[in-house]
Amino acid sequence: MSILSVENLKAHYVTEKRRKITRVLAVDGVTFHINKNEIYGIAGESGCGKSTLLKAISGLIKPPLQVLEGEVKYHFDDRELDILALRGEKERREIRGARISHIPQGSMSVLNPVRRIRKSFEDIVGTHLGIRGGSEFEELVKSHIEALGLDWNVMHSFPHQLSGGMRQRITIALATILKPDVIFADEPTTALDVVVQRGVVQLIKKIKQEQQNTLVIVTHDLAIHANLCDRLAIMYAGRIVEEANVQDMFQTPKHPYTEMLLNSLPTLGDRSVRESAPGAPPSLVNPPSGCRFHPRCPKVMEKCRLEVPELIEVESGHQVACFLQEGRVYEQTRELGANYH
Amino acid sequence: MSKLESSARTTIETKSNAQKLLQVKNLTKVFTKGQGLVRSTILAVNDVSFSLELDRPEIFTVAGESGSGKSTVAKLILGFEVPTSGIIQYKGEELSTLRGKKEFMKDVQPVFQNPFETFNPLKKVESYFHETQKNFGMSKKNGDVAERCLELVGLSFREISGKYPNEMSGGQLQRASIARALITNPSLLIVDEPVSMIDASLRMSVINLFKKFKEEQGVSIIYITHDLATAYYVSDRISIMLRGQIVEIGSVKKVLDQPLHPYTQLLKSSVPLPDPANRWTKEIALSDMEAKEYGQKGCKFSGRCPHVMEICRVREPDYFEVDERYVKCYLYESGSGQSAV
Repeated sequence: MSILSVENLKAHYVTEKRRKITRVLAVDGVTFHINKNEIYGIAGESGCGKSTLLKAISGLIKPPLQVLEGEVKYHFDDRELDILALRGEKERREIRGARISHIPQGSMSVLNPVRRIRKSFEDIVGTHLGIRGGSEFEELVKSHIEALGLDWNVMHSFPHQLSGGMRQRITIALATILKPDVIFADEPTTALDVVVQRGVVQLIKKIKQEQQNTLVIVTHDLAIHANLCDRLAIMYAGRIVEEANVQDMFQTPKHPYTEMLLNSLPTLGDRSVRESAPGAPPSLVNPPSGCRFHPRCPKVMEKCRLEVPELIEVESGHQVACFLQEGRVYEQTRELGANYH
Repeated sequence: MSKLESSARTTIETKSNAQKLLQVKNLTKVFTKGQGLVRSTILAVNDVSFSLELDRPEIFTVAGESGSGKSTVAKLILGFEVPTSGIIQYKGEELSTLRGKKEFMKDVQPVFQNPFETFNPLKKVESYFHETQKNFGMSKKNGDVAERCLELVGLSFREISGKYPNEMSGGQLQRASIARALITNPSLLIVDEPVSMIDASLRMSVINLFKKFKEEQGVSIIYITHDLATAYYVSDRISIMLRGQIVEIGSVKKVLDQPLHPYTQLLKSSVPLPDPANRWTKEIALSDMEAKEYGQKGCKFSGRCPHVMEICRVREPDYFEVDERYVKCYLYESGSGQSAV
């Protein structure tokens, strides 16, 4: 059962300078469904629109970001919610934190540098549960942070007194204290050391198991996706080009971009030559026509320059937006058609 | 300094009498913080020794987590920082006499982590090429040298001329930064985290350049990184740093295929593999004591080591030669390599 469905979402950054309108097509026609209780990964390079997608689906839409088309619907147990239809800040605030929450990337910019960690917890618990200090507050927070393997003493520290790994674990504790249904994590382990990164991945898994929530992980690091996710979507230049469960994605990638990304990953124990694709990711102000990967694609065809390939299911649960796969589906439908005659 | 320590120091130096391109001996850098009574010191680099041979170009990796002192080693070799004690010799000459001299700067060139910080945003990228040529008296052949170096990294002068840093992509700009370093035809390149800011699909194009330079131009490279996967792919020898000390040093295949030091083992097992069938299953202990390790008596890893013994907490281990490498760990004291691990 899906807990979040996104249909044909278009979110652009629109700016105007001297009557000239510039449009950054950061999210340009994205459709996907996230099942309850799964870990869904979104991978892509910097500037492919993955962070903007996260903003749009969690309802953080502020100018210059505009949602032009599409819908984002949450299906919670007790209610349906169209997050793009929420108008008031009050309504949004109720949803955020309690129903959906966010683990951000830079833990230093999240925690207020001049306030003790305890104050941050007081803010979030006070706002949503109305518990302001006292033994009830202490009990709630203590049981939560101890379950995450943190020491109660960190509550009295300032952010700068803690290491990067500790700070990231505290932001995770903050994001999960209200047991939200859906957690969005934007590059949760980037900028952490490898050993600490492994600890954070371990922590995220543990929370998911205990709280039974749905996780959406956005990162450029495919190795983290391989370690954490159930299903994975690959984004390129504002669109999803491939979606599959994580085993299929790594074993039988279908889109040339995914193939190229996976082939360029160096692995311990393997020194065979790895190559990058030619060129660089395109600008989203003026993206290439047709399939946006076509200027870099080794298997480019005439059609790719003109038409936009749609995301089609080529195998059970494996969707690809590439004309190379079109034939296969076409064959299948023709067989079906033949049976009718 | 005990007798034992000094004997260890002699063992880590290469036994061959071949001429050295770079020799680093017992290098130590102490940073002091605060003044008077609140004065505290950090041993950023603690008794580090290694050498690169002349006439045998190689890629030597200095790997470690943040705070291990790997970037300080780079700064010391480049002469940006003055060592507290220890010797750096470049082609047999003391660095203290070479520092700031044109010949040295011409021969040893750096490439930094973030290309957007390397280049002044208000200056055109090409001006760096003109300036480097002018500074090193190569202006007569202007254009030619720059063009040739840009060609090596897969760019052309036309592509960069007239452009400001923000008009280029990160990958392009980093390659331009490498091309600039090559103008002077250096014997040694010191590259500090050159790909951590570059997109995954372009990363290997930069890494492959280093391989090419070593093989075709005979340039030796000191590759400073936290990424063991690219280190394994590109380098010949590796040294693993922990809290200012080298704990294991040897050929990259030996060290990363069968790591001997418990810290190297932890580091290797913490590198996420891009393979969903091979996820982390074992839980690791999350440490809160990262910062305390600088002041740790004896072995810096003794607080986290699964094989810790009494002696580890008391006296610092020497380097023991095991299986064509040096390991700073008591487990290998017998030298047989047939120890508890």
